[in-house]
Amino acid sequence: MKVSLSWLREFVPIELGAEELAERIDARGIKVEGIDRPWNDLEGVVVATVTDVRDHPNSEKLCLASVDAGDGPVQVVVGIRNMAPGDLVPWAKPGSRVPLLDEPLGSRSLRGEMSNGMLCSPRELAISQEHETGILILPHDLTPGADLKTALGLDDALLDIEVEPNRPDFLSIYGVARETSSILGLPLAEPDADLEDDAERADAVAPIELRAPDGCPYYLARILRGASRGTTPIRAQARLTAAGMRPVAPIVDATNYAMLELGQPLHAFDLDRLAGPGIVVRRADAGEGLVTLDGIERELIDEDLLICDLEKPVALAGVMGGRSSEVSGETTDVLLEAAHFTRTGIIRTARRLDLHSEASHRFERGTDPEGVERAARRGAALIARWTGARVLRGAAQAGGPPDRRWVSMRASRATALLGYRVASSDAVAVFDALRMRHREDADVVEVEVPGYRVDIEREVDLIEEVVRIQGYEGVGATIPRSPAPGGLPAAYAFARRVRDALVRAGLREAKPLPFASEEDLALMGDGDAIPLANPLRAEEAWLRTSLLPGLLRTVGRNQRWGSGTVSIFEVGVIFRAGDPAEERRHVGFVHCGAAGEGWAADDRMLDVLDARGTLESLLGDVGAESWSLGEPLAGPFHPGRSARVLLGDEPVGVLGELHPRIATSLDIEGRVAVAEVRLDPLRAAAARAFQLVEVPRFPPVRRDLAFVVPAGVSAGALRAILDDAGGALLDRSTLFDVFEGGAIPEGRKSLAFALEFRAADRTLTDDEVEPVVVAIVDRARSELGAELRA
Amino acid sequence: MLRSLERERERGFRAFSEAATIAELEAAQVAILGRKAPFSDVQRAVGTLEPDDRKSVGRVINETRADLQRASDERRAELEAVAEDALIAADRVDLSLPGRRPRPGSLHPLSLAEDEIVDVFLRLGYRVAEGPEIEDEWHNFEALNIPPDHPARTMKDSIYVHLPGHPELLLRTETSSVQIRTMQSQPPPVYIVAPGRVYRRETADATHLPVFHQVEGLVVDEGITFADLKGTLDAVARALFGQDRETKLGPAFFPFVEPGAELAVTCMRCDGAGCPVCGNGWIELLGCGMVHPQVLENCGYDPERYTGFAFGLGIDRVAILKYRIPDIRLLVEGDIRFLAQFGASR
Repeated sequence: MKVSLSWLREFVPIELGAEELAERIDARGIKVEGIDRPWNDLEGVVVATVTDVRDHPNSEKLCLASVDAGDGPVQVVVGIRNMAPGDLVPWAKPGSRVPLLDEPLGSRSLRGEMSNGMLCSPRELAISQEHETGILILPHDLTPGADLKTALGLDDALLDIEVEPNRPDFLSIYGVARETSSILGLPLAEPDADLEDDAERADAVAPIELRAPDGCPYYLARILRGASRGTTPIRAQARLTAAGMRPVAPIVDATNYAMLELGQPLHAFDLDRLAGPGIVVRRADAGEGLVTLDGIERELIDEDLLICDLEKPVALAGVMGGRSSEVSGETTDVLLEAAHFTRTGIIRTARRLDLHSEASHRFERGTDPEGVERAARRGAALIARWTGARVLRGAAQAGGPPDRRWVSMRASRATALLGYRVASSDAVAVFDALRMRHREDADVVEVEVPGYRVDIEREVDLIEEVVRIQGYEGVGATIPRSPAPGGLPAAYAFARRVRDALVRAGLREAKPLPFASEEDLALMGDGDAIPLANPLRAEEAWLRTSLLPGLLRTVGRNQRWGSGTVSIFEVGVIFRAGDPAEERRHVGFVHCGAAGEGWAADDRMLDVLDARGTLESLLGDVGAESWSLGEPLAGPFHPGRSARVLLGDEPVGVLGELHPRIATSLDIEGRVAVAEVRLDPLRAAAARAFQLVEVPRFPPVRRDLAFVVPAGVSAGALRAILDDAGGALLDRSTLFDVFEGGAIPEGRKSLAFALEFRAADRTLTDDEVEPVVVAIVDRARSELGAELRA
Repeated sequence: MLRSLERERERGFRAFSEAATIAELEAAQVAILGRKAPFSDVQRAVGTLEPDDRKSVGRVINETRADLQRASDERRAELEAVAEDALIAADRVDLSLPGRRPRPGSLHPLSLAEDEIVDVFLRLGYRVAEGPEIEDEWHNFEALNIPPDHPARTMKDSIYVHLPGHPELLLRTETSSVQIRTMQSQPPPVYIVAPGRVYRRETADATHLPVFHQVEGLVVDEGITFADLKGTLDAVARALFGQDRETKLGPAFFPFVEPGAELAVTCMRCDGAGCPVCGNGWIELLGCGMVHPQVLENCGYDPERYTGFAFGLGIDRVAILKYRIPDIRLLVEGDIRFLAQFGASR
């Protein structure tokens, strides 16, 4: 809500500047988001009299005007010829500035004729958004030579107020003025709505009937007759424009102006187009239709509320008027509606039809039923002033505002909640400032809630008023301490531990968006993904079932940005359909690019063994021992470079390189090694604490054995046999060389192990170790066809 | 005999001093003092002398041998020093070369911010609580005082999931739903923070993402006051942004708290003087307030006996402010050049 400071001052004698005012009221709950000055760039434009208008000798489109601002006539070239000698116009003389143009104006020749500055249209002055309106013709009561900005009251500031849903009364200048007067302790003026007495009575013209009092408990209409076309005063147009509304014609402008001012939406019907004339407020019949002002045929259901004349619907109550009864340039007689509609009905209709207007916005949040009469009077007074219409005596109406409710609070409760002493006299002072009637009985203060305060329903609402008006700055500052020690749930703590382990392993944490596309799901072969009911984009149509697609996209992006080497991980939640839906924490990581860089690095590329190394680091770090790799994977993985990750016998994840074809389809160059593991089973398998194994005191006996095995024998299989055959004396076996070719026959390879034999209680002798070595070599030969290399 | 000894001494001194390497020195040692050297011949010939002569010549022999050995040792020490110098000189390294080090890893800035926030509350004795990201409307809205027709429900457009039979399920719009779940699962006192991901139906731009992160806080106990909220959040803001920050509490509306408030902190860029980042010197940090009695009732707590405060702090916002991140999309794009700035660089 844009609140004009000059408009605010019509109700409250504010002497503060905009910035200081903003600070004061913001601290008391009128949230000021910013201050605009739309006419800051209007400078040096003056009121001038047109003394002559003539043709431009070299142009059919342009004309020449002479204008006089008191210093004699000056020639200006003008694009539109809507002014006549004697008119007053805004003259932007050389050196002046207008909001729409970046540069100050100068004198220049247009098609051979000198133009000293320009004459301004409403749009150029930021008074209207309309194009092609011609030059603004000013009212005759202005003085030639006067500064236009001052003369039109455009030296104004707009407070941009964020209206929170509990305070719909701030959706009006008057509502903000009322609260401001309470905050600053200043008087509050009533809106100017004086009407001449008219002989004709409104209630004799149009009867009102309420058939749905739950949706519309109060309907009031003023009748006007004899409106002429008229014009909306420039200042009012400027205010409407500044508030984001479009000045149209005086009758509609007046309803909008009164709504902005008082918060009560008004609607003007052309009285001659209403059958009867008379008004019936009722629910729509299912399937009934209405063409709204925007020309769209609306299909209605039986909870929609309709304003009807005696034959047909003429407006969708509180949301938008109907086209058939719209006021026009020919309208002379007007039925001006001011009604109270209940919030929820308007919300439902507006949401269902996706039809949101300034009126529905206010009704949805709650209008003041007690303000209906005043708003109608103010609207009628403005139409009368701007069109010359007469306002009939009284109003046609049915229903009325509800009785006010009383809500009570205990000062002792306020003290307990706010943490500083609140006496009932303090509360009374606050409600006096807010102009709310109250009764006091010892600790209890009972408050009569005015119609515009839809938010006050229970004790705590009043306590909030007390602290808000007294000021939050007066509240103390204490720190309560939990009686129990704080801590982390096990799953959360474990996620932190996994994250830290991967950082130590040299990976960077990424956090891609947790959505998935159809392609992502197809890539991972996942069928039980959860679709979103209302996704914004196709790429975000599902919840992810795996961390890998997001990480892979990140790798691709980095390659495109020139970062070829990417080692990243994520610890995050994935989702699977079910009842209930499943949310699981996973850890995933990706290696792609060069294993090292710089002068000291070899030129190896990261591959699946780097991913395996990272997995080893992670599992070792959290102390999960019972893991192994299972069968190779299908799907997007390289069948010769992938495996299922097992904890005991339970599959808990995947490790592998992407199939080169898949990497290419994802626009990723080179090998891409990935892994993804479920966190919960990993946590179950993780060591709770370190358990010390005694540090050996006796030296080992070392033996290096190089075996030549068939190429299909895996290092892991050979090692398993070594470890098993080595028995209790074999302390460690380390694979230190893998070699093919050279002296090794085709189809075989050499695997060299360093074996360390050790006993906890003595230094081993060669005689003790030798039989074990023989046993190891025998087992390797008999089970794997391994020969000791000479 | 004495003459030949004198000759050998001269020859020895010359040979040792002329030896340019350890190997030459050792060869000279053999040539001068070795078993087959002339000197040894002389020594062996001493046995043929008269006893008196044997004694005096023997002394000269011993002195000469000792002198020669000393000369050899000294020369050896010299040569060894030269050799060592040469070795050291050859072993020089250009220390302007980049060092060899393990590949550095790093945490995401959102993790850094979350850890920092959570750790502040752990020190105050709070427990971390977690809740599901797929939430039902009751926990996400109704229990928090946001009925279906409440205008606040249109303020944030939510993302619903499509699970047959469950039209009420959506991606939580606030971590506030964890408040409700915690109160439903335990009696007071409650001192929790709930970090987590939340979702809004927003198109990504420099200041919006459909996904962001919050830390919800909730304290419910006997005698908890608005002053407790103010003191706690002031301390937290200072812990996060520096002890010299000032904070300001102002009125605000959230359906599930009353009185509702917003905490602003003096701008870390301009120290409260006013700058393009903050405008007026203050940066809005979080929304908070006293837990609405209706919310306590919804969870089966007696609002006459227990009071509490709640707050919601944006982790993304804290990260953006602390690390001066100009565009929120950087947080999800995963640009290595961005991520690498939150730990050791490569």
